[in-house]
Amino acid sequence: MFHSPPAKPGLTSCRSPEKETFTCWWKPGSDGGLPTTHALYYRKESSETVYECPDYHTAGENSCFFNKNDTSIWVNYNITVVATNALGRAFSDPVEIDVVYIVKPNPPEKVTVTVMEDKGWPFLRVSWEPPHKADTRSGWITLIYELRVKLEEEIDWEMHLAGQQKMFNIFSLRSGGKYLVEVRCKPDHGFWSEWSSTSYIKVPDYFHREKSTWILITVFSTFTFLILMWLLHMNRHNLKHCILPPVPGPKIKGFDKQLLKNGKSNQIFSALVVPDFPPATSSNYEDFQVEYLEVYVRREQELVLEESKDLHNSCLKSESSTSDCDSGRGSCDSHTLLMAKCREAKEGERQTDRECSPMRTEAQRRLKDWEEEALNYAHAGIVSLEMSSGRVKTWPSVFSPLPRYSSSPLDQQSSLQMAKQLSLSTSSYLTQPGHSTKEALGQSYWDLCLSSKQPHLLNPPTPVCRELQAHSDVNISSIGHKRAPAGPRSPALHTTEYVEVQRVDNKDTLLLQPVVQGCGRMGGCFQMPHGEVYSKVKGVDSDNVLLLQREGMGEDRCPCVEQETNEVTGSCHKSCTVSTTQKPSGCIYTAVPVRDEMATMANGYVDTATMCTLHTC
Amino acid sequence: MAHCGGTNGSKLFTMVLYMAAACGAIPISDLLDRASQRSDKLHSLSTTLTQDLDSHFPPIGRVIMPRPSMCHTSSLQTPNDKEQALQVSESDLLSLVRSLLQAWEDPLVVLSTSANTLPHPAQSIISNKIQELQEHSKSLGDGLVVLSGKMAPGAQTISSLPYFGGNDIGQDRISKLINFNFLLSCFRRDSHKIDSFLKILRCRAAKMLPEMC
Repeated sequence: MFHSPPAKPGLTSCRSPEKETFTCWWKPGSDGGLPTTHALYYRKESSETVYECPDYHTAGENSCFFNKNDTSIWVNYNITVVATNALGRAFSDPVEIDVVYIVKPNPPEKVTVTVMEDKGWPFLRVSWEPPHKADTRSGWITLIYELRVKLEEEIDWEMHLAGQQKMFNIFSLRSGGKYLVEVRCKPDHGFWSEWSSTSYIKVPDYFHREKSTWILITVFSTFTFLILMWLLHMNRHNLKHCILPPVPGPKIKGFDKQLLKNGKSNQIFSALVVPDFPPATSSNYEDFQVEYLEVYVRREQELVLEESKDLHNSCLKSESSTSDCDSGRGSCDSHTLLMAKCREAKEGERQTDRECSPMRTEAQRRLKDWEEEALNYAHAGIVSLEMSSGRVKTWPSVFSPLPRYSSSPLDQQSSLQMAKQLSLSTSSYLTQPGHSTKEALGQSYWDLCLSSKQPHLLNPPTPVCRELQAHSDVNISSIGHKRAPAGPRSPALHTTEYVEVQRVDNKDTLLLQPVVQGCGRMGGCFQMPHGEVYSKVKGVDSDNVLLLQREGMGEDRCPCVEQETNEVTGSCHKSCTVSTTQKPSGCIYTAVPVRDEMATMANGYVDTATMCTLHTC
Repeated sequence: MAHCGGTNGSKLFTMVLYMAAACGAIPISDLLDRASQRSDKLHSLSTTLTQDLDSHFPPIGRVIMPRPSMCHTSSLQTPNDKEQALQVSESDLLSLVRSLLQAWEDPLVVLSTSANTLPHPAQSIISNKIQELQEHSKSLGDGLVVLSGKMAPGAQTISSLPYFGGNDIGQDRISKLINFNFLLSCFRRDSHKIDSFLKILRCRAAKMLPEMC
């Protein structure tokens, strides 16, 4: 092991507890591996004599105690510590001290804490004594004291400077709390002493004091509560209205609260049923039916067509009606030639006798013209037709072209289909309509018009038109389905059979009334509230025979479309959409039933316009 | 009766005289209490001044600092320990106090003037405190005059301790600082003596109020 002279020691502190003696401590350095001794030498300021520490033991290890004899105050001491071992010495740095400046007293002694009471409120009285070594009595040393208090569970102390007094009172105690008290002192120009040993004190519970306060609070709040209750009681009605507003009674017409209370739901609901609503009875159904079908052609064409007024039975409605749906005006009232023709037809045909042949020629001719016009329109764009009114009245279903039917019904159907197609879309019609179709259409139409029994022929074509249309819609669709532009064959207007459209029932079935018994074969599947035999037009066969359906609902009506058939316009809709050709995009024929707008026309005209609206492409 | 007198030391003399006439004699204990409070303040000021100076004092100066025995008041014989101090009579003690205080009247002026040009970072603080020292010293001196009137005639004896340092405390910065520090240390000690003696006198005079001491 390597030995070396000792390292330099250092004086750590010198303290005097009472300004009469003092002690110096030093910290030795490394001893260099050899036993090292330390010595303290001092020199007073006025002499050069070096003295060694008189007492190395009293104050402990590495200390030097100067007793009273060796202590002079107001005198500078120059102290040095020397460490010595076998190999050498080491001197510490000298330290100049004056005893009066290094006073640090001992902690106060005999700290006592007692609980005292001041008018019912407790407080702590802390008393202590100065350290016994400190001579405060002669005034040699003047001490000031400081104490600190805290509750047992707290962390921070509460400091109190007590000055020179040796007693202190602490107030504002917590009832039942346990307190810790410590005291320390300091000379007037020195260092603080250490804290004295802790004193514990427990404050008794002074609940009785707080009890009276609680009683007071309770009484006061009781009074307040009673007053509030009394106020609420006085205003209970207003409050009740505020908080629980009355439930408004029901204001339903026909609603009887008493019935509700009685608990008989049947009576209640039956009372709710307004006799007038809903209009379920079929007797009034006519009110909701469209009286006529109205088809308009363009103005110019109208004029042209109108010229041929001699064709009184050419109630062509090639143009969408510009009138509203429920105008009640028949096609004959429209501005179109068709109207005029219808009128003529009506005028000419008051009786229900339907002369097929004589009219046919004329009708045929007119039909041709009309068809041309219609075609033109189709070419030009039925759009104009449609757009002029925003609505296209469908052709009576009579004009459904059925190539396979050679009879007039076929023509009728074809023509009807023509009308349908026209109303539907231009393109579709463009391809299909054939000359004959138009003719057939026209003729059919005319036929229909002619067949009108009602004296009210001013009205638009008879329900027959509509009926036929209704049926033809179906047929058209069916036809369209079966074949594409199955152009209507040139209709050979054979004997035409007429039916009179009574009306359309709520199930979109045309109620036809046979006009001539021999004109056609009429199945009877239509509902006939009047005892007549009605049947639904099933189709037009190859002989242009209007095929009427026996019974059943509309499964045949719109075989091509899955929409419900109960709508009045359902048939229109379906058949329209099922136009034989490819549907032009967007040109969908949507029929809007205007049930309630169906004015009850005496002759049962149905205004398809009201029912069917064509949506242009 | 202590409340009858003024609180400021400068007015102490006149107030004491007035009080003595109007309110009756102020007990010496109160006077001594006030005096000791003054001296306590005086010493505290000197202590802080020393600390302010030492905070930026060049360590070199310490080595060649003049010995405290070279203070101009060292010739005055004062007790060196407690026994000696307690054996001194009150009037002698008071005389010592007054002598010491008187001895520092001129050096404080020197200190004050040199503090204005002291090459020290805390020069302004030091200068202010020196001025406070002067004020307190003067007020204490005035009060002691009154006190000595109430004591034995021995209290009137004031030893003369002239200061021979002159106004010049040095030429260069180091010597200025050293001399200033030295003077201040001498004052600090003497103010401690003054304070201690007055407190001894206070306790002696307050025999009926043991809690004072």
